[in-house]
Amino acid sequence: MKENSNKYLIAALLMGIVFHGTSIFFTLETTYDALIHLFFADHYATSWFEPWNYKWYTGFTVMSYPPLVHQSIGALSFIGGLKFGMFTVAFIAITLFITGVYRYAYLITASKKAAGYAAILAVFSSSFVETLHIFGQLPSIVGVSVLMHALPEIYLWLKTGKLRYLATSLSLISVTVTSHHVTPIFGMVFFIFPLIGTVIMDDAREGVASYKQVTIRLFLNSFFKLFKRIISFGMLSLVIIVGCILPYWINSKNNPITQVPIPHGSRDNFLEITSSGLVFFLIPWGVLLILLPYIFYRYYSKRYLFFGLSITILTILGTGGTTPIPRIALGETAFNILTLDRFTLWASIMSLPLFGEFAYRLVEGDLKTLIQERLGDVYHRVAGGLFASLFLFMTIFTMSLGYFKPSQPQKIKMLPIVNFLSQDHHDQWRYMTLGFGDQMAWLSAQTNALSVDGNYHSARRLPELTTRPIERLENSKFKGVEGIGSLQQFLTTPEKYNLKYIFSNDKFYDPILYFCGWQRLRQLENGIMVWEKLNVPPLSSILPKEDVATWLKILWGTMPFLTVLVAFVLNVQFLLVHALKTKYSPPPVYLNFKNNYHKFSRLVLRVTHIWSVIVAIIVFYGIYLFYIKNDSHHSAKNAVIAYYDAIDFKRFKEAHSLINPKSNMALDQYMLEVSVTDGLLSSYAKLEAITTETISENDSLASIKVNTEWITPLEKIKKTDFKYLEKVNGKWYLQPEDIDLDLPPDQLYSMNTTDYFNQGRRRITTEETHHEDILKQPVLEILDAKLVKFENHYALIGEVQNIDNVPADVVLKGTLYNDDNKFLATYNAKYHVKHKLMPKEVSSFRINFEGIAWSKTQDSIPKTFNPDEFTPIEFEEQPTKFNLQVAGNVSSSDLYKRTSISIQNIEDFKISGILFNGGTEEVTIPQLLVSYYNENKELIWVDHIFIKDGIRQQRQRPFEYALLKKEVSKLINDDMKNCYVNGLPNEDISDKIVPNRIIKHNDNELQPINHPLYKFVKLEVNTYIGNPN
Amino acid sequence: MQFKYFYIVLFLLFFITNNKQNSTDSNHDIELITTKTSYVAGENISLQFKGNTNASIYLLCANSYGTIVVSPSIENSTTSFQLPQNFANKSGTINWQLINDSVLKTGTLYINPQPKIKAIETYIGPPSIEAGATDYTMLVSIPTDHLDNPLADSTEVTVKHQFLDRNFKDNIIMKNGIAYKNIYSEKEDGRIIISTACLDLNSKEYDVNVVPAIPTNFEIDYSRIHEYADGNQITTFNTSELKDRYGNTVSDGTFVNFYLTNSKGYKSSTSGLTINGIAKAKFLHPDHEENFEVKAYVEGMAESNIIAISYKKAIGDFEIHFSEDKRTITVGPIESFMNQRVPDGLNVTLKIFKNDVLDHKIIKETREGFATFKLNKDRFPKGQYNFEFYAAGTTKSFTAIAYE
Repeated sequence: MKENSNKYLIAALLMGIVFHGTSIFFTLETTYDALIHLFFADHYATSWFEPWNYKWYTGFTVMSYPPLVHQSIGALSFIGGLKFGMFTVAFIAITLFITGVYRYAYLITASKKAAGYAAILAVFSSSFVETLHIFGQLPSIVGVSVLMHALPEIYLWLKTGKLRYLATSLSLISVTVTSHHVTPIFGMVFFIFPLIGTVIMDDAREGVASYKQVTIRLFLNSFFKLFKRIISFGMLSLVIIVGCILPYWINSKNNPITQVPIPHGSRDNFLEITSSGLVFFLIPWGVLLILLPYIFYRYYSKRYLFFGLSITILTILGTGGTTPIPRIALGETAFNILTLDRFTLWASIMSLPLFGEFAYRLVEGDLKTLIQERLGDVYHRVAGGLFASLFLFMTIFTMSLGYFKPSQPQKIKMLPIVNFLSQDHHDQWRYMTLGFGDQMAWLSAQTNALSVDGNYHSARRLPELTTRPIERLENSKFKGVEGIGSLQQFLTTPEKYNLKYIFSNDKFYDPILYFCGWQRLRQLENGIMVWEKLNVPPLSSILPKEDVATWLKILWGTMPFLTVLVAFVLNVQFLLVHALKTKYSPPPVYLNFKNNYHKFSRLVLRVTHIWSVIVAIIVFYGIYLFYIKNDSHHSAKNAVIAYYDAIDFKRFKEAHSLINPKSNMALDQYMLEVSVTDGLLSSYAKLEAITTETISENDSLASIKVNTEWITPLEKIKKTDFKYLEKVNGKWYLQPEDIDLDLPPDQLYSMNTTDYFNQGRRRITTEETHHEDILKQPVLEILDAKLVKFENHYALIGEVQNIDNVPADVVLKGTLYNDDNKFLATYNAKYHVKHKLMPKEVSSFRINFEGIAWSKTQDSIPKTFNPDEFTPIEFEEQPTKFNLQVAGNVSSSDLYKRTSISIQNIEDFKISGILFNGGTEEVTIPQLLVSYYNENKELIWVDHIFIKDGIRQQRQRPFEYALLKKEVSKLINDDMKNCYVNGLPNEDISDKIVPNRIIKHNDNELQPINHPLYKFVKLEVNTYIGNPN
Repeated sequence: MQFKYFYIVLFLLFFITNNKQNSTDSNHDIELITTKTSYVAGENISLQFKGNTNASIYLLCANSYGTIVVSPSIENSTTSFQLPQNFANKSGTINWQLINDSVLKTGTLYINPQPKIKAIETYIGPPSIEAGATDYTMLVSIPTDHLDNPLADSTEVTVKHQFLDRNFKDNIIMKNGIAYKNIYSEKEDGRIIISTACLDLNSKEYDVNVVPAIPTNFEIDYSRIHEYADGNQITTFNTSELKDRYGNTVSDGTFVNFYLTNSKGYKSSTSGLTINGIAKAKFLHPDHEENFEVKAYVEGMAESNIIAISYKKAIGDFEIHFSEDKRTITVGPIESFMNQRVPDGLNVTLKIFKNDVLDHKIIKETREGFATFKLNKDRFPKGQYNFEFYAAGTTKSFTAIAYE
């Protein structure tokens, strides 16, 4: 018998390679995962046998992820670089997937044509497109593809008992496991178990005339007959799953994942969070949703019964948090660790053979005949065309998702950053990126410098990170207050992590960096702003690592390629014979169980029709709801929400379109007004929550109370606005707001300032800096310092002065001890200090002792966390003594001191007044430091407030500060003998430079207040300039 | 405590072993032929012994770099040890021991630096000191020979420094491998230029900045466009030239804080940074008649005299006009000292009381002299309200305004 090549398969392969092969160059690098795999690949390329990687977190082991795909990319990178390796592996993955689907479909349908159709459809299936082009999960694709290749071999082993098939199936399982660990484990359950069931069914069927006659008894007989083969296969594959990636399991046992669950969209309720529903349910299922009745009908036929059960479970688990079933079925822990989208992916892959079968029957089989007979030729063509267009629409829609809704920031040119890090010893410190998205992995792969952050959260070890439900510090703003809270701990105590440089691609983080004491270094040519922190020691030359036994390293480094080699040797003969048709090979035994493609069930057709109508109704209703919700003029509420949404995303043109046209506010005027407002709220806030309350509404007028919550990098802001709306020509519009009318007196004015410049190394050399080029650390003096207890936490408060002649950057580090001089805690001053002091300038300060937030139990994570609040450290013992280390470093940036404060009124425990900016820079975020004094004019507490709006030049900004009411701090210790400045005792320095200090010099200038607990306050102002001239 | 005994035992052991060495010395018939014990760095050093020709004999040498073992070369009955050149190049002491199974002989060699100078290493710090003749910077000078050994002690080093129009020259003597000198500041600020010389070799130039000491009391003054409280113009406060107690102008950038206290006792503060000793600070005119007392500080160090500044009333009475439904209220025209309309942006505050409780506070800015309040009927429903308007120091109240 002459065997022909399957033209459908060849067509599928050609189309797949062309379609995916050309498009991956535009998509793969912007996917979520691809660059992470690239980073791992870089690790193997540079140190194949050493599993410890220093580059992320504070070191982690790559034994936490199966290595095959990474090692393949790494090996290929020696030929043409990392990206060449990645794209080559992606090509292999595409080929493997298409052929895998073909073989699996051939096994299921026993029809070459149906399998060929399945292969073609697989190329364009939305779930595959999404996994490859949106998620970039290469190991997962390779894993599931090889698993599909293994399925026919497993069938043949179980059915025929030929050892050859046992060897081939096990070899393929081993490749699967070295490329992705979750796939074979769940694949065992969801693919192989039903397959075993089918084999037993087939075996039982051979004794009787049809599947109808297969009874439970017959089934059990066959089961016991095949039991040896089943159990031998099961045992051996278990050995392989454990053995091939043994270091992975050992590592999992030694370093159990302590990470608290990180929210993932696949666990959402898809009806509530429709975007998750789209990405994790609608797209992967795609047109298969219409075919669900057919798929279930076929998989619940007796032969495939177990596949029916399997796909049912997969479908349900894939619905995430929409129903409570997945949570109950998986248990709380597994539910929170697993990403459930993989179940939907597998369900859709499992459906592919039947999709192929359906297509075959629709295009040239019995379904075509049935439809043509009953509904006519035209209907068949129209329905087929509709179905095909829907299918193609889903594919193109999925493909374009990454283009229209990019999951990543714009592609960043890494070269300037790589160069920066390799210049001038900058890589002797750790760095961090902000707003890079998954591209941070690509940066890590290219530089030798180490990052505090990382992109593989299962491998994290720092408790500061594992206790947080955030993916990366880098995108912490998307994780709301928890993310910002986590980030600020790293920014406040960077010396703990030797973190000196931050590359910021998102100006959102600028205020938190400034108020944590960081300063702008320069903008690189790719637009990335470099921030640096002074007084951070470089990394030590030897870093800690967790070593593992050499045999594990060798096993890890060799096993993956060995499995591929073995699988290749075992399968190559079959492949060559099949591909080249060099000799006749008997058809596989599963072809004996052909389906009857001659009589399509009328009932199924009818049910499919009804189901299609239902799906169509749901879809159209959904679209209608979507339209109503998004038609901004439809109701007053819509208009308000749309307006805030537009403001939040800075779509000012859209916001302007919602302003009442009767108000004659031109777009120019509106844009101008927007452009002149700056400040925490207008430039750095992200809308977190919005609720509206209709106060009154009639046909043409409405007034709405809008409660908004804004996340800013510094604090959470709650705001209540009253919006008045008018209906004009059937559309709702908002009334415009008042604008700032203040006219400054001077049109042009001049101002003299003192600029500073530090040459750094005066000689261009790579040697260590010459000693004469090193500036003296500015001398500071601690005027006052005391340990106080305030409510349930401890704090160091006091005053520090720059007594030198140059401006200083101030780092304050406090340490607490108990009576036995036992170390209890250490922390740095965060917001409560002016980090930059001019010569002779004074700043009040407060050091909070923050613990690693929520480190005790994950349950205690507050729902309403405020980044301004903090988790006080839990002391086992009572702190009674303190040590305060102040370090000054010459700084020449952020020295703007031209804002004056006027108190105008104090009543009802509120201080109101104005801030006036008399200088030439626009103040973006003013901060007030408020010091409280008792009747003896002794400092007892330091508080702060951020003013929400900026102050333009020569303008004033009113402020209101609510005085603390109840709490009063308790003095624990005010002994200043352990205060040090630049490592020298404070007192010695003070005696030398200011021997005749006028103690309590400003006492007469404290503002008296009428308050039962506090008698005086002092206000100081600290300003962040967002855009220095 | 335990360590103490440990040290005592160790100490005793040291003596015992030392004695033993001496005794073994005398028992053996091995003799040192080389008599020279003092060398110049770089010279060839070879120790020769007579007697024992056992090949398993070694010379253990220690200098300040570390310890090495030297193998012998035996010729006839003479055993000679050639010290490696890097050992011979380093000035200082070499202690040697001749060892086979036990210590046979010990001795010491002295290597003197070469008498010729190659370079002068100089360290100076801190790079800036305060004027006033009490602060100083320390200069450490290490003249070295060709092999990077410090020259011999007692070598003379000349330290030259120049300050303003004065030149100084001091001779200092090397001791323990270094020569050092403390250079004190003088009463003026400026820059000290320093160099050293030794055996006809001159160092490169070094410099140390002498910065002014802390400031002393000073005077303040102000200037302004006019004396009216129009809430718009800006007053500039300035200091006299701030100087330290030696008459040096303080460093640029010195922070001077101005505190203003008004007639009600409320504080304002503004600040200036000195340039050529003079600090200027800006202050916005109040919008109502006001008197301030002003004093400036360099905290803990110096302060100014107290000056008084008063702002004359610029804005007089103003009218308030209610619309028919009383929901639109126009304040103004508000006029300034020449009856001109006030510059835009004067704050007009409206406090609305319901049942004598503050219900709402609205601040509006004037435009062309007018401020308009529109009270929405949803926000302020039917009822009676009391209104209190405040602008430029004038308060006007309206009671029992009824809304339909």
